[in-house]
Amino acid sequence: MVTRAQVLGLVDGGASYEEAGARLGIPPGQAYLVATGLPADGSMALAPEERARPGTLPESTQRLSNPPHVNPTVKPEVLAWIRQRAARDLGKG
Amino acid sequence: MGVKTFLEGWPVYRQLTGTDPLGRGAAVKSKVSDGLTSRNTEADKVVKSICPYCAVGCGQNVYVKDERVVQIEGDPDSPISRGRLCPKGSASLQLTTGDARMHEVLYRRPYGTEWERISLETAMDMVAERVLKTRAETFAWDTEDGQRVRRTMGIAHLGGATLDNEENYLIKKLLTALGVVQVENQARVCHSSTVAALGTSFGRGGGTTYLQDLQNSDCIVIEGSNFAEAHPVGFQWVMEAKARGAKVIHVDPRFSRTSALADVFVPIRAGTDIVWLGALIHYVLENEKYFREYVVNYTNAATLVSEDFRDTEDLDGVFSGLDREKHVYDTDSWQYSGVKATAASGSRDSQYDARTGTGKSVADAGRAESHGHGGPGPSDPPHRDETLQHPRTVFQVLRRHYSRYTPEMVEQVCGVPREQFERVAELITENSTRDRTTAFAYAVGWTQHTVGVQYIRTASILQLLLGNIGRPGGGILALRGHASIQGSSDIPTLFDLLPGYIPMPHAHLDETLRSFIEADSADKGYWANLDKYMISLLKAWWGASATEASDYAFDYLPRLTGSHSTYDTVQLQLKGECKGYFLMGENPAVGSANTKMQRLGMANLEWLVVRDFSLIESATWWKDGPEIESGELTTEEIGTEVFFFPAASHTEKSGSFTNTNRLLQWRFAAVEPAGDARSDLWFMYHLGRRIRERLAGSTDERDRPVLDLTWDYPTTGSQDEPIGEAVLAEINGWDADGNPLSTYEDLKADGTTSCGCWIYCGVYKDGVNQAARRKPAKEQSWVSPEWAWAWPANRRTLYSRASADLDGNPWSPRKALVWWDEAEQKWTGHDTPDFPPTKAPSYRPGEDAHGVDAISGIDPFILQSDGKGWLYTPVGLVDGPMPAHYEPQESPYENLLYKQQSNPVRKAVESRHNRYAPTGSQPGAEVYPYVVTTYRVTEHFTAGGMTRWLPYLAELQPAMFVEVSPELAAERKLENAGWATIVTARGAIEARVLVTDRMSPLTVGGRVMHQIGMPYHWGPNGLTTGDAFNELSSISLDPNVHIQEVKALAADIRPGRRPRGAARLRYVEDFQRRAGVTASTGQES
Repeated sequence: MVTRAQVLGLVDGGASYEEAGARLGIPPGQAYLVATGLPADGSMALAPEERARPGTLPESTQRLSNPPHVNPTVKPEVLAWIRQRAARDLGKG
Repeated sequence: MGVKTFLEGWPVYRQLTGTDPLGRGAAVKSKVSDGLTSRNTEADKVVKSICPYCAVGCGQNVYVKDERVVQIEGDPDSPISRGRLCPKGSASLQLTTGDARMHEVLYRRPYGTEWERISLETAMDMVAERVLKTRAETFAWDTEDGQRVRRTMGIAHLGGATLDNEENYLIKKLLTALGVVQVENQARVCHSSTVAALGTSFGRGGGTTYLQDLQNSDCIVIEGSNFAEAHPVGFQWVMEAKARGAKVIHVDPRFSRTSALADVFVPIRAGTDIVWLGALIHYVLENEKYFREYVVNYTNAATLVSEDFRDTEDLDGVFSGLDREKHVYDTDSWQYSGVKATAASGSRDSQYDARTGTGKSVADAGRAESHGHGGPGPSDPPHRDETLQHPRTVFQVLRRHYSRYTPEMVEQVCGVPREQFERVAELITENSTRDRTTAFAYAVGWTQHTVGVQYIRTASILQLLLGNIGRPGGGILALRGHASIQGSSDIPTLFDLLPGYIPMPHAHLDETLRSFIEADSADKGYWANLDKYMISLLKAWWGASATEASDYAFDYLPRLTGSHSTYDTVQLQLKGECKGYFLMGENPAVGSANTKMQRLGMANLEWLVVRDFSLIESATWWKDGPEIESGELTTEEIGTEVFFFPAASHTEKSGSFTNTNRLLQWRFAAVEPAGDARSDLWFMYHLGRRIRERLAGSTDERDRPVLDLTWDYPTTGSQDEPIGEAVLAEINGWDADGNPLSTYEDLKADGTTSCGCWIYCGVYKDGVNQAARRKPAKEQSWVSPEWAWAWPANRRTLYSRASADLDGNPWSPRKALVWWDEAEQKWTGHDTPDFPPTKAPSYRPGEDAHGVDAISGIDPFILQSDGKGWLYTPVGLVDGPMPAHYEPQESPYENLLYKQQSNPVRKAVESRHNRYAPTGSQPGAEVYPYVVTTYRVTEHFTAGGMTRWLPYLAELQPAMFVEVSPELAAERKLENAGWATIVTARGAIEARVLVTDRMSPLTVGGRVMHQIGMPYHWGPNGLTTGDAFNELSSISLDPNVHIQEVKALAADIRPGRRPRGAARLRYVEDFQRRAGVTASTGQES
């Protein structure tokens, strides 16, 4: 069974949780949970002292336990459509 | 099972004999649990979304596997919700994937007794045909006296407020082009009062602050809201403040979970908040607790009021200018001294003549939401006395006006003991200083009254006096209850507005765009740029056809001739003048006031389109409504043709919601909707496409606005769903080179920019969907400026210039928000400053300065015509420049403050289906001796269409109930869990009795007064059923915005179930007879 010391050892050595998990044969979210006692999916309200535990990351850790996110903020086809509209409606382009 | 198997299955044995003797992990897994995997980890992807229920706007992670939604959870990255969801949000998987959802189009033919199945294509063609036929039959070019209207009154629309901004945009755009003016949504019946009140007070109709900023408050007053249960996830910020030492005060007729978590709970008689708040104003003024420097410089306290003005103190409860016969005020005498202030929103059009020298004004405009603010103001500098000593300064007028709002009056009218009032007054004033701030949060407990606008105005005055607006931890938070009800006002499906609070034009002789701009633009502040906003909007809608030569297609806009609100529409339906009706995500047969009138109106239509998830009551009333049971209607005799279209859920369409923070948050479609279910975006786009195809080649001038409409949105997927981002981009606007605009400062009045909603300009800045930004909360400051996008210009706190002193320094380091950086010569701070970025505090405009240049360095309220917060509204509202207490339409008490009983200009509707109870000391008032109020529960949502069909939620709140005190239960012999019948002058309903100390009798006017509480979510359809509260309510309206009074009704309550069928009518009539109710009861001015 993977221990906290094992995970923290790898992380302290510069490994990411993805790498640590891969080396230890567990998912990265589980590696984070083992190391910190905190769920990587962010499903827990943390007290200040919990946020300071060894191994906790300052950024969002959802990526460690969730499938890839879909959140595209740019759509090239919309930009192309805007140019067409502007050319037709505003008489330039 | 053998002994060995039994032992090996025993967890302790397994632990001690395995590799994990200390029980840290592996030992606690059985074979079964070891084989379980989370739906989340098995999912293919997580699609980012937003909860579709209330307006807190909680982030959601939608887990998708094999193109199916398998789980929905809170998104911990959200700075608003921090991963939390309430019971409704947690049940949204059932909302989207549950088997209660309809996926087929249904059709009820005229006089038919059953639904029939027809194809989506057929139904769309039929609706397009009906729209054109009704439009052709009812289209009018001019009024009888020759004013151009170019419209149809034969078609109306009422939408929900959980529609996306992009959907609302297409609804407003297409229907306006068709000439439909009766375009309305839930915002009318929910928060229209907010827009008028906050708008006239501060300049914009949105809440001045945002949920997360409550954590910075030192005191939070929650009034007219059950914050903890109606906006549960947002309430965490109240608790955050409390954990930091803030005091929380809850003022409400009923003890709730909000009260339980407050430091002070004040039970109050429903309908008396202006007395309570007015007394707080009195306390602040008489005890010199106001923030003098803020008040003198940032409000209109020093401005002199006209000599012609007469106050309620002079006229025993009414203001000067009242025409009792017509039930209206002439507001001219309310102006500032020596200045002819131009009309503001509500009565704005009444001064059309003066502004333009042409045309004819329309007094009954119902336009208080337009501009979302007090609108154009004085063209000359008004007279001021900064010592505040002149008897006609706003400050002294205010002091005199509220002199009778004393703690004794609070005790007599509100039922609140003097000691409790004083404790609250001390808490608020102790926490309203340079170094401390108090916030107010309210909801529809304030908005839904015949004086709803003035409730919110009273709190606005108080907060201005205390210097709490524009400062961290201060402000007024309008708690909106629908995912995009703020957006539904910003991009309005409202009859009186165009996008961005530009007023819809009224009918005038020979009106041109120029005369419209002259009448509605301001001389000072950002509304001086109305021409830029308006022409850019017309370019967005009519593109190449909107040219200078065509007056930018201004003539394509249909015109108003008065109020065309949803309650006016119902009356037109009953008259047979309104023949076609779109209901899109709205259920007026349960949720609107006087549901009987709503259904009878629908029974008089030629056609009705209902778009929803399930067969709500507004879709099935012809078959199983209360009037079928009573015999008032017979299915076979109802000619209304009904189309039911199944709607797509929030996980099946992309679009933006604008939450209570004014924050636009984008959702992405996770999957395509199944069967015939479609988004409202799809419905409107393809309906418009079909209509345009039918009209192609038409030379009828009537059809030009439709044919010239820009309607070429790109589509995606197998269902040809319009791309939501394209609609958002049109809303944002672009320049002639096709570059998305960055800010409304870039808009031009020469036709070279296009913008569908000027206040949303910037949401597609740099071609990036700013509303979709999701930088996790823990990776940025508490303001979270990179999470989504707030209007205006991504500013989270409005009027933040007021957080700094005259020199531009924070009033105190503890309350720093924005400040002037002398070295950089610009405003900076934690938030994007709500002020021209390089305008120095020392800047004073020249006499000839105009528009934005005329805003001085000490004018924080940059949308106001004088740059000041308005303690007194010389223009803009139709029922008084300062709030005065009037009893509700129906009340068991006389008005102890004035001779005037009710708001003299409220809109009472005369109909045999809308009778009012006698009020005050009128004979017969004792027949309805109790005050009924209504509210939400956490587990259900508005008229129930999104919750009563969900098993989780139906089980959590399984029955309609009525809350009564033990004392009232004893008085009326009501048994806990038994049945009770509640009766008003309109109807009778039944509910399960909940005897509870949460409802406590109050001593009011020297006698004991009982209040009755009821939720309003139930109706006859769904998994959990019950009578609808709104069978009891009347159509009695605030005159500014035409919102209904449903928070304080007069009623009786009796043990037992209500009569069935026709006997129910006779039961109500018997009460009416005993009370002497007639057509004229309650109609007096």
